[in-house]
Amino acid sequence: MKKIIIFLLIIVPFFVFAQETNEQLWEKANAFYTTEEYQQAVSSYEQILATGEESAKLYFNLGNAYFKTGDINNAILNYERAKVLAPHDEDVAFNLQIANQYVVTKVEELPKPFFLRWKESVINKYPTDTWAFISIVSFVLFLLLLGAFLFSKRVALKRISFWIGIFSVLLSGFAFSHAAQQKNKINKRNHAIVFCPRVTVKSSPSETGTDLFLIYEGLKLEVTDQLNSWTEIKLADGNQGWLPDSCIVRI
Amino acid sequence: MMKKLITYIFFVCVAIAARAEQTRFTMSAPNAVEMGQQFRLSFQLNDRGSNLQLPPGLSDNFQILMGPSTGQSTSIQTINGKTTTEITYSYTYILRARAEGKFEVRPASVEVNGKVFESNSLTIQVVKAQASTPAQSGTSQAEQGTTQNIDLDKDNLFVRVDLSKRNVYRGEQIIATVKLYVNPNVPIHGFDDVNLPTYEGFYTQDIEIPQQINFTREVYNDKIYQVGILKKTILFPQQNGRLTIEPFSMALLVRQRVKARSFFDDFFDNYRTVKARVTSDAVAVNVKDLPTAPAHFMGGVGNFQLSSEISSTNVSTNDAVTLKVRISGNGNIRLVRSPKLELPSDFEVYDPRTTDNVSATNNGATGTKTIEYLFQPRFEGDYTIPPIRFAYFNPATGKYDTKATESYTLHVEKGTEEQNTTVVSSLRKEDLQLIGQDIRYIKSGKAMLQVKGYTFYGSTIFYLIYLISAVLFVVLYFVYRKKARENANIALVRNKKANRVATKRLKAAATFMKQNNNEAFHDAILKAFWGYLSDKLSIPIADLNRENAVSKLKDKNVSDEVIQDFEEVVEQCEFARYAPVGGAEARHDLYKKAETTMSRFEKQIKR
Repeated sequence: MKKIIIFLLIIVPFFVFAQETNEQLWEKANAFYTTEEYQQAVSSYEQILATGEESAKLYFNLGNAYFKTGDINNAILNYERAKVLAPHDEDVAFNLQIANQYVVTKVEELPKPFFLRWKESVINKYPTDTWAFISIVSFVLFLLLLGAFLFSKRVALKRISFWIGIFSVLLSGFAFSHAAQQKNKINKRNHAIVFCPRVTVKSSPSETGTDLFLIYEGLKLEVTDQLNSWTEIKLADGNQGWLPDSCIVRI
Repeated sequence: MMKKLITYIFFVCVAIAARAEQTRFTMSAPNAVEMGQQFRLSFQLNDRGSNLQLPPGLSDNFQILMGPSTGQSTSIQTINGKTTTEITYSYTYILRARAEGKFEVRPASVEVNGKVFESNSLTIQVVKAQASTPAQSGTSQAEQGTTQNIDLDKDNLFVRVDLSKRNVYRGEQIIATVKLYVNPNVPIHGFDDVNLPTYEGFYTQDIEIPQQINFTREVYNDKIYQVGILKKTILFPQQNGRLTIEPFSMALLVRQRVKARSFFDDFFDNYRTVKARVTSDAVAVNVKDLPTAPAHFMGGVGNFQLSSEISSTNVSTNDAVTLKVRISGNGNIRLVRSPKLELPSDFEVYDPRTTDNVSATNNGATGTKTIEYLFQPRFEGDYTIPPIRFAYFNPATGKYDTKATESYTLHVEKGTEEQNTTVVSSLRKEDLQLIGQDIRYIKSGKAMLQVKGYTFYGSTIFYLIYLISAVLFVVLYFVYRKKARENANIALVRNKKANRVATKRLKAAATFMKQNNNEAFHDAILKAFWGYLSDKLSIPIADLNRENAVSKLKDKNVSDEVIQDFEEVVEQCEFARYAPVGGAEARHDLYKKAETTMSRFEKQIKR
């Protein structure tokens, strides 16, 4: 017991100290942004990221700072990262849309069936943890209702608890799967932003491949495969091809 | 002040008096003469005068050779039957200059009807005698023949562009005069092939000059020339650096006498016309760039004044308001752009109308530019029309000057209904005007940092919550079920025992009946019933009364007849307990009835 306390006494100050500097950095970076010293703001935000911590807010602010310094590629990258963590944040979507106006390549997105669009919009309504929380709460509710159903003597109560119980167990399942999908997005990181000012997409993973099409910096694309130093990408309009790794940064 | 006024009035009176008497006294002489050359100084007077006083100091510089010779001319005019007679008296002196230089001849005076009049003053320039010029007064044919064919070279015949300034700012005006210089002895009688200069790099404006070219005497390079002005132009340089006015040329027609070849030639016309081509020199102008312009610089270079005028400051909505701004002055007024009027954004603003009224004079371009801003306020309220600022470059000081109009306060009242109906849309919805676009501002507050990739979902706690809640549920379920089962067992036992207990109590009642113990008998029957129902219906004895027992029995589908019997039995028992009515007979009947009811209960209450 004594040992544990000593251990905690040693560890906690480090922990607190680290937390404090990040908070301080955050305040400092925001202050830099307010006084329009965007370059310093960028480096302060990046320092926070270097400690291995992240948040949607952080990515959003970093994207803003990059945008103000004129680095549109990094701005888009950070907005996209913020969007992964906070898919339904309006500010992120708005700024991303403005930053995307600077992207030269215009890609018409393939139309998706309506149920996929609905599903996506439902999934994107909340980040992972909110879905996880919803799942837990509805599961607990289900258990309570199940209890009510089993032990209640009243027919009406039984009936209500039966239906709501079924609904909540379904909700719990859906929320769980949505949380899983959101988590999957964070883990897989299968989207990327083009950083080369101008790059030719090849038909095969080598310099000798046929030139398929040209894309310009700032474009978001999907990563489908990887071979040596080449990446297979897929545009939103369905075009596919190979790019050198060095030209893209994963979201 | 008073003194000035009096002097002024005096002069005005004198002027009026002079005008009234119509007495004119003028002095005239050539403005340039050669040394030793004779010339005339003549005075004209339209009235009989006396005591002519020559200009004082005249004889210091000029030698009076002859004079005065007086002359008189009469002209009679009849206009619309009105005859006016004008007699002009002239006094002529012949003078000769004593020395070279520029001399001023002060006014002469004359007395007319006892009043003294003064003439104008003159300036006479005396240059040294031209060597090649023989006696001017040569009149003989022979002499003229020799003097006629003087060389038509650059000395005697040339054109040049005279510029008022050579070193200017961009946009500053220059007056360019195209002049023809002719030796007085060269008879010119026409022009041909006139290519007037093209002023490249300049914005030009011509000055009106008389169609007929008037030759005046002028001294140039110490020589007397007859000078004719061909063209006068105001130039506004539009480029920086060295601008060159390219040479231009023209042909002059000169009458020349052909040398007599024979005696007979003299009898015929032996003049011929010679074309002499003259070409000017190129002239360069050095144009300086303007210093850094202030915000409201509209391209004006010169000296300007600014005034403004508003049609009304008290209007109702949808009335048109005109703001007139007048820029007047001397300079490149035609090239001045209209200054911007900054109005409240919900005003209906029309394009400003600009009118120029510029006259080109020898002093340069002078005039006014009138800009009319027309706008309609759409909504009532008090608006401020900000002052219009107008900056211009003053080349005289080499600095920018800024003038501003006054600002106006516009009071707008709501227009009447009729006025509104004349407007196409009286109810106007203003669209949101997007002025600029920018990203949204950064988020403040706590950063809410987390370790990269960490989510609550998938963490141990996440799954543990599921597990714990499920386990908790199962445990609770079993605990609760066990308890419920135990409760159910007690009820069942009691249910099953109920009948036996009831029969026992009824048997006790039977023994009481035999003993004729009235109170105990009834008591026992009631106990038997209540105990039985309490066990059967799982209602505690304390909570049991007739009403809920009856309703419960009805729930259990016990027939009304049995319930009625039960009620009768209970009623009789309760009644008989305190007031014994019947004898043994009645008790027996009651007992029987209780027994049958009980057995029917047992049949009908299934569970």
